[in-house]
Amino acid sequence: MSFRHLRAVIRPEINHILRDRTTFVLVMLVPTAMLFIMAYALTVDIKHVPIAVLDYDRSPTSRAFIQQVTEGEDLDLYAQVDSLDDIDNLLTRGEIKAALIIAPDFEHDLLSLRGIPLQIIVDGTEPKSGGFAVDHIGGRAEEFISEALASRIRALNVNVSLDSLQPIDLRVRALYNPSLKPRVDIIPGLISMVLGFPALSVALTLAHEREHGTLEQVLVTPVGRAEFLLGKMIPYIIVGLANVIIMPAIARVTFHIPFNGSFPLFFLLSAVFLFAILSMGMLVGVFMPTQPAALALSFLVIFFPGFFMTGIFFPIASMPAEMRMEAMSLPGTHYATITRGVFLPGVGLDVLWPNVLALLGMGIVFTAVAALSFRKKLG
Amino acid sequence: MSFESANEVPPIIETHALTRDFKKTRAVDSLDLSIRPGELFGLVGPDGAGKTTTLRLLAGLLNITSGSAKVAGYDLARQPEAIKRKIGYMAQQFNLYGELSVLENLSFFADLYDVEVSELRERTERLLAFAGLTEFKDRRAAQLSGGMQKKLALACTLIHQPEILLLDEPTTGVDPISRREFWDILTDLNLAGTTIVVSTPYMDEADRCLRVGLMYEGRMVVCADPQQIRARIEGELIELRPDDWQAACALIETLPGVLEVQTYGNLLHVLVDSADKRLPEIETALRKHGLTYRGVRRVTPRMEEAFISLIRRLEVD
Repeated sequence: MSFRHLRAVIRPEINHILRDRTTFVLVMLVPTAMLFIMAYALTVDIKHVPIAVLDYDRSPTSRAFIQQVTEGEDLDLYAQVDSLDDIDNLLTRGEIKAALIIAPDFEHDLLSLRGIPLQIIVDGTEPKSGGFAVDHIGGRAEEFISEALASRIRALNVNVSLDSLQPIDLRVRALYNPSLKPRVDIIPGLISMVLGFPALSVALTLAHEREHGTLEQVLVTPVGRAEFLLGKMIPYIIVGLANVIIMPAIARVTFHIPFNGSFPLFFLLSAVFLFAILSMGMLVGVFMPTQPAALALSFLVIFFPGFFMTGIFFPIASMPAEMRMEAMSLPGTHYATITRGVFLPGVGLDVLWPNVLALLGMGIVFTAVAALSFRKKLG
Repeated sequence: MSFESANEVPPIIETHALTRDFKKTRAVDSLDLSIRPGELFGLVGPDGAGKTTTLRLLAGLLNITSGSAKVAGYDLARQPEAIKRKIGYMAQQFNLYGELSVLENLSFFADLYDVEVSELRERTERLLAFAGLTEFKDRRAAQLSGGMQKKLALACTLIHQPEILLLDEPTTGVDPISRREFWDILTDLNLAGTTIVVSTPYMDEADRCLRVGLMYEGRMVVCADPQQIRARIEGELIELRPDDWQAACALIETLPGVLEVQTYGNLLHVLVDSADKRLPEIETALRKHGLTYRGVRRVTPRMEEAFISLIRRLEVD
């Protein structure tokens, strides 16, 4: 490994990043912009979800129940309807996101302390609003029914505890939290996703050199394969680390995410992650002959699994076993654990060391495969 | 020119049945080539004949399918990295790093070729002067004219003082004056002892080479000095400029003793068995058919006529 060769390869790349506006924007501004857009888009508060109510009971109790459900800003009573067909109609036209159906014996069942059948129909094409409606109606129903039951028990003067009746599953309420809380754990996870952009740049720069003919000219020089690949990677590690400084700052200032861990540790572990994810980008660049091909494969192997499989939005614990294994072989999964751990509980290496080892291992394996597959030949 | 004594010097490039296949085509087919140190060797041939593949093989950029080759004393298949320090290769679309200045491009290659730092300054200045780029040394490569980019590319391939220069159509897309300047530089380098293998689509450039190899469908069909190649033209050449060149061409082709008619726009080159005998006959025939013409004369065949004639004969076979 010649330091002179390495420096020679790094310099044009740094110049390229600094002097080519498109590249500069792609590697320096896009990750930050993505963080902003996704953080806002993914944690938007849902309000004023239109629902319809079909009340078969038409009793004072059912009317009071409807009143309580649609109180406040969360759910809007769009219409009181008379048949299931009406609900079907409104749902199809998208005018409501959910419908609540109250059974004919609602009041009677409640007063005789029986189970209360409530039906909620949800527009499955918009699971977010639908799920929100279910959670909300469930929460309100639980409040209403507990209260009604309690007063009924008092009136009947029987010795039954409210808990033994278990009128509605209490967990619904416990999980539901309409505040900004989700951002707290999503944003550190998002950082691990948007840091995939420097990896994309590495893949693109290799493909660009191949397309543009500069690679052919470099291949006839005595430069070593590892020197060339590392030289292409190091500038983007530097760029990535600049993002590692900017993004936690944004997370703190803009989104008020607490940063409880040690920043130097976070910086160091981010460098390890960048090494792993960039060597993945390098592998893409080594095998893909053109920039569109490199772009497509990067999305397939870096961004797509980065989004769905690293546990940022979908918990790894709920994945099938094979997918869990795949998730564990993605650098993003381990880095998401690291970012959350350092941001929120503020844990250190004593907890995170398995993730750090995994990242190091991946970086070494990917770089080795890239260096061995990269021939100083054309075609 | 005699090569009898030079023949004793071992060749600096030597290939035996060198072959390279791509998926469906055989780009280079059993190439036997022997180039002596200090030669200026021209590779010509129609597009797709295998010139670029040959140069890439010699530069160690492509794996050999079969056959063998030695470049600068090293085996091409086994010691490609050793060869890389001895050669300078300039790809057909040599693309410099456009964001780097002229000087930065030169030092990029100087670093990769491990040029002694103590020699770097003097060598850079000499190459800049040589390529006429001294006053542009801080300009970004992307902002140079096409001709200057080619000269900078050449300077970059010369930074490690290679024994052999492999140039793939270095003057394509360059204006005639830059082209001439570029060839003056090549001639100087060659006179200073550098072996040069250059592919070119321009026959006047082929004429400046010591030896020319004509490639056709992957094979080297003729390899000789330019005079010998010109001499391979059968017959003698008559040039004329008819006003209706298509009618004249059709007529002349039917006349006895006419071997071949080549068109250069509205200029006709007619190869005949004997110019003295056929020239009056052609003039008579044209007048008889009422075809007017100007500037009829006897000319000596150039590389261009020889090239077209040779390729035509190959295409017929």
